[in-house]
Amino acid sequence: MAAIVLDKLNKHYGSLHHAVKDVDLTIADKEFVALVGPSGCGKSTTLRMIAGLEDISSGEIRIGDRVVNHLPPRDRDIAMVFQNYALYQHMSVYDNLAFGLRNKKMPESEIKAAIDRATEMLGLHELLKRKPRQLSGGQQQRVALGRCIVRNPLVFLFDEPLSNLDAKLRAQMRIEIKRLHAQLPTTSVFVTHDQVEAMTLGDRVVVMKDGRVQQAGTPLSVYGHPVNKFVAGFIGAPAMNFLEVTIAKEGDTVVAQSPAVKLAVSEASSRALEAYKGRRVIMGLRPEHLALGDGVVSRSFAATVEVVEQLGSEILLETRVGDARVTAARVPPETAVAAGDQVRLSVQPGRLHFFDPETENVITA
Amino acid sequence: MAMVRTPLMFARLPIGGRRLLFGLAITGICLAVAFPVLWLILTSLRPESGVYYVHRGTEFTLASYAEVLLDERLIQAFVNSALISTLATIFSLLVTVSSGYMLSRFRGPAAQTWFGTIYVFRCVPYISWVLPLYFVAQSWGIYDTYIGLLLPHIAVHICFFSWLMKGFFDGIDPSMEHAALIDGCTRWGAFIRVALPSAIPAISALAVLCWLFTWNEFLFALILTGNKVPVITVVMAQFVTEMGLRWNLMAATAVMALVPAFLLALFGQKYVIRGLRI
Repeated sequence: MAAIVLDKLNKHYGSLHHAVKDVDLTIADKEFVALVGPSGCGKSTTLRMIAGLEDISSGEIRIGDRVVNHLPPRDRDIAMVFQNYALYQHMSVYDNLAFGLRNKKMPESEIKAAIDRATEMLGLHELLKRKPRQLSGGQQQRVALGRCIVRNPLVFLFDEPLSNLDAKLRAQMRIEIKRLHAQLPTTSVFVTHDQVEAMTLGDRVVVMKDGRVQQAGTPLSVYGHPVNKFVAGFIGAPAMNFLEVTIAKEGDTVVAQSPAVKLAVSEASSRALEAYKGRRVIMGLRPEHLALGDGVVSRSFAATVEVVEQLGSEILLETRVGDARVTAARVPPETAVAAGDQVRLSVQPGRLHFFDPETENVITA
Repeated sequence: MAMVRTPLMFARLPIGGRRLLFGLAITGICLAVAFPVLWLILTSLRPESGVYYVHRGTEFTLASYAEVLLDERLIQAFVNSALISTLATIFSLLVTVSSGYMLSRFRGPAAQTWFGTIYVFRCVPYISWVLPLYFVAQSWGIYDTYIGLLLPHIAVHICFFSWLMKGFFDGIDPSMEHAALIDGCTRWGAFIRVALPSAIPAISALAVLCWLFTWNEFLFALILTGNKVPVITVVMAQFVTEMGLRWNLMAATAVMALVPAFLLALFGQKYVIRGLRI
């Protein structure tokens, strides 16, 4: 039973580099939180501060009901999986798994029982006598997971554990971690730069940039209601399209227009955009919300196809709209479309996102 | 495997021709390196009068070896050299390994000062230490003693090899130690139980280098020892006497001094190569 509370957490490296800025975050007991962001955004530093591998410049970290700021890593009752597995190279898999338990002076019979349970769960039986360098990347990472499980800690910390694996193995391990969390519900913090991992694994996704938390929420809320342009562009693949448009009123309807695009805005957005009338804003369109062909002029625009990417299950279209490039996804794979074609792309008014061009924050009512 | 690019001038040769050239080049290099050693061995096998005509003599004898082996002072020198080399290796490794680890893993004023100190010592020419060391040894009353020769050797090893050790530890992923910290180790425990075992190839390599360095060292031994602590390199040089040069004896001693070093290098090279690679 351990919630993690980060309270005004800061990390300075010297006087110049402020890696983590005022991070406030509460991770509930048994919750799986994914910290995601581009490299250098402070996510790994935050995790390492929770682990106790980095000093805290200011702020407070609580695990359960203890303030752990000054506790060494070994007293925090945590377990961590590292990007490069960090297995003890000179020990067999069994000794790797037993290392932490032996440090706790657990009797060998109990250690064996704990290891048996973990190997059962992860299918490691045949590997127990081998040395880490005789294992594949996927097997090594599984041993690293096992090393965490046997300890039965309060908190699991994952530091980009899947990024050294190839794409297929990564997808497998993702499922394995998810299954593991279902079997052994333990408070977990998972750091990744891959938004797909964050979205699929996290009960909650925390998007970070430049040392600050940009948004924390369920995968669906972060995807559906990004609070700023950065989050909107970072979450979702292919990335959201951004167009510069001017807000105008035509009769009763509010429209967003640029020389190449003119789209009617939903009622909710109309109210939000009241103050922006006659001003330029940034409009965001998710590629998967764009559909090919639709006669209704008020919710579609003309585009020139530049590149057709056939994926088998769908087509990705790279198109040019005026000066801007717009990607459209989810085009049915059998659609007859070729580079150079003129097409119309349509979008539901409710799917449009608007951002302030200066603050880049989402415009809401 | 690394890509090997054939130099343009060889590219047009057929494969067999290239192999032949490569073989010739290797043979040439090996001969050039081995030649002085072969010459030394030949010299040691010649009778006293034959040493100046090594290349055309036909008379061979083991008399020089017999004479050397009966010389108590020489035997003493062998023992001393082996003892001092071994002790210097053990004591310097104790410091070098932990100091290399510190330089690799810790930042801060202490590490920086230590780094600066070693750097300065490395910049000073080796030979310029000798005279000050002689005066220090005299004033401390350790001139011509084991300790008087050991201490400077340990100091030199620490300065020269801490850098190498730092390089080795730089190549060992620190996250392994972080995992150990989380798994219940103290910082010291993570070093001893996780970092150190991974560095064993490197430490073995360093041990070989240290031992050979002291075994072959001449300058310190010449200045810091007198009659009480003869070591092999100095005793060898003493065949240059007022009565003449005893080349055959010197060669026989040199060949015998080569043997332990050669054996060590032979068995240790596996570690040296693996150690230098990590």
